[in-house]
Amino acid sequence: MSEFILNVIHRPEMVPEYSATVTGHGKEEDIGDKKLLTESLDIFKTQQRLAHENGLKVTIHMTYAALFNKEAVEIAKQDHETYGDEIALSLLGLPCEEFREKYKTKDFCIWMFSMEDKKRIVDDVFGKFRDTFGFYPESTGSYYMDADLTNYIKETYPSVKCAVATCWEEGPKAYHTCNNSWYTLFDGGPWAPWIPSKQNTHAPAADESEDSGIVAIPHLSRDLLACYDGNGSNFGTHPQNVLRGMIYDTKTWEFPYLYNLIDQYRAQEKYNNGYAYNMMFVGPGWMNKMGRWEAPYELLLKSYSDGCKYYGDLKKEGKLTDMTMSEFADYYRKKKTYTEPECALWRDILYGSDKQVFWYTDPYMRAGVSMDQGGAVFDLRPYAAKLKWEVGIGTKHVQDASYPFLIQEKYRAGYFTHYAGEGTIRSAKLSYEGEEVDLCLCRTKAHFSQEGNTRILTLDPVTIEFSDLTLTLQTKEYFEEGSGSIKIERTILNMSSPGASVELNEYMTACYGTTEYPEDMSGILLRCEGAEEKTICYEYRCREESLMKASAVSAVIPAIETKVSMTASDTALGYIKEGYAFSPMFTLGYKKKITEKERFATWLRLEKAD
Amino acid sequence: MAQAGKGRLNYRCPSCFMRDLDIDMFYDKEKKEYYCIRCQYTGSEEDVLAKNEMVRTRYGAMHTRYTKFDFD
Repeated sequence: MSEFILNVIHRPEMVPEYSATVTGHGKEEDIGDKKLLTESLDIFKTQQRLAHENGLKVTIHMTYAALFNKEAVEIAKQDHETYGDEIALSLLGLPCEEFREKYKTKDFCIWMFSMEDKKRIVDDVFGKFRDTFGFYPESTGSYYMDADLTNYIKETYPSVKCAVATCWEEGPKAYHTCNNSWYTLFDGGPWAPWIPSKQNTHAPAADESEDSGIVAIPHLSRDLLACYDGNGSNFGTHPQNVLRGMIYDTKTWEFPYLYNLIDQYRAQEKYNNGYAYNMMFVGPGWMNKMGRWEAPYELLLKSYSDGCKYYGDLKKEGKLTDMTMSEFADYYRKKKTYTEPECALWRDILYGSDKQVFWYTDPYMRAGVSMDQGGAVFDLRPYAAKLKWEVGIGTKHVQDASYPFLIQEKYRAGYFTHYAGEGTIRSAKLSYEGEEVDLCLCRTKAHFSQEGNTRILTLDPVTIEFSDLTLTLQTKEYFEEGSGSIKIERTILNMSSPGASVELNEYMTACYGTTEYPEDMSGILLRCEGAEEKTICYEYRCREESLMKASAVSAVIPAIETKVSMTASDTALGYIKEGYAFSPMFTLGYKKKITEKERFATWLRLEKAD
Repeated sequence: MAQAGKGRLNYRCPSCFMRDLDIDMFYDKEKKEYYCIRCQYTGSEEDVLAKNEMVRTRYGAMHTRYTKFDFD
């Protein structure tokens, strides 16, 4: 039986984000402005009403500021009694007079504080919550929860079992969209609920020993294609995101995109053992009475009202189950195993391109596959390393909480580069008599299947045309649960000259980083492994080595404690390539001559480097 | 010349929006125009709204209601 689970979350924020730049423009800052408090509470009440009118349960994320507001507390208690809403605690919405007075700072993002302050604030906020309601919360959250923060909360307040822990692909793109003033840098995480590891929030736990003790949910359910190349905050199940993206008809105020987005998430149950998930979380700042962006209040209200109605109607039709966050945590623990991956086969539902991508996440990797580029891996995060990456004041990463990539086709180019050099991508090239074709230029579609614990993408065959030879090639990609590897298999289905042979070059061009800008590649160790070992220690000298019958070709990247390797199904020439300053990449690959009906497979494997 | 302020709504710069930048514009009441503090765009409310429609051309399927999400 398939299930589509929804979490709706509201937070009574007494000083909403954006109030200073919207409501408060042209006024001196007044964080205790009574008019602002009244309006914020009104918005919260409206949100609660809309959800309840549509039969939806809410998780109320009380903010620190709201805990000082008797009316907000009373509403939470009443709605818990009447509608079964969960009273939870948000680590967003810290700003208020009491917070400013106590902490003497305008910082408001919990993950950016020093560890000492994180503990002080958590103890303060959790203590205040207990004083107010008589119990500790079971759910909490922020835009991002770093591992040290989560571990501290779980250790000190074991009742917590669910948390909003990241926003999918909210990183440099969101930063740029906000004129380089919005410091939420946490690309590289899961898009759907997961159990974070104790070592790194983004990387799911592989077993009980790594289990942080909470179930994490993403902040919103985001468009898995549009968000990768654009501002995430335009393309999510936050009805006002869709208005921010101007994805509505100005005459009719209709926005079918929101419903396409929700429905595409519903469709993901096909790839996840009958389960799909959505989360809607709208802060009060987005329903400002003065309007937001180009949208007047009436449109903001309509969008939230319509969004609640759509979910509510699905529930009435028996197609949706609404849960509170803590209920969901219990459900998820029963439903999922540690190694079960989250899969998404996703199509473009906005631009009209028919592009299709596949996303895969498990405790060892997150990978993105583009069918518009012949099944190339365009994004790869080596979760196998379970990289300890402390964030906040006093650490090496005050703001940057992203999980590093090996491949990121937007930040480090993909197939296409200007003038010289290479971009990060895992693809293959076919060569015949001096001509070369990269599969990145072969647009196709994929079909999902599962055999035992292996998820399989079967791509529609593509045609490669050389001057004197035409061939049809099929790609299949295998994601074996718990293996930390991706097997990519190519088969030549037919050739116009049956006796011909072509050279297949399976390659991965990679580097590491979290932003668009290059990192120091010095010291990366490239190896051809086998009877004879050949190595290159990265010095930007554009060197190459190869080894016939190489048992593996690999790279160890000390900065991210990661080893990535490729192995082959058959005898082939393994090679390694160092980059140079204008192309700070490395390439691993295998070359092999193949003929009609022949099949050749390679495995890309991720491990933690010693 | 008096200082600029915000307009009736928070109109963003349509030119910047097209390069994925959300920047509120400010309103010059003497010239009756919105202007962008980052790029060189200036325009009346009518022009802003017209340019916003241009922005939407990127969304080729904005009005489409999808019922199928795979290619099986």
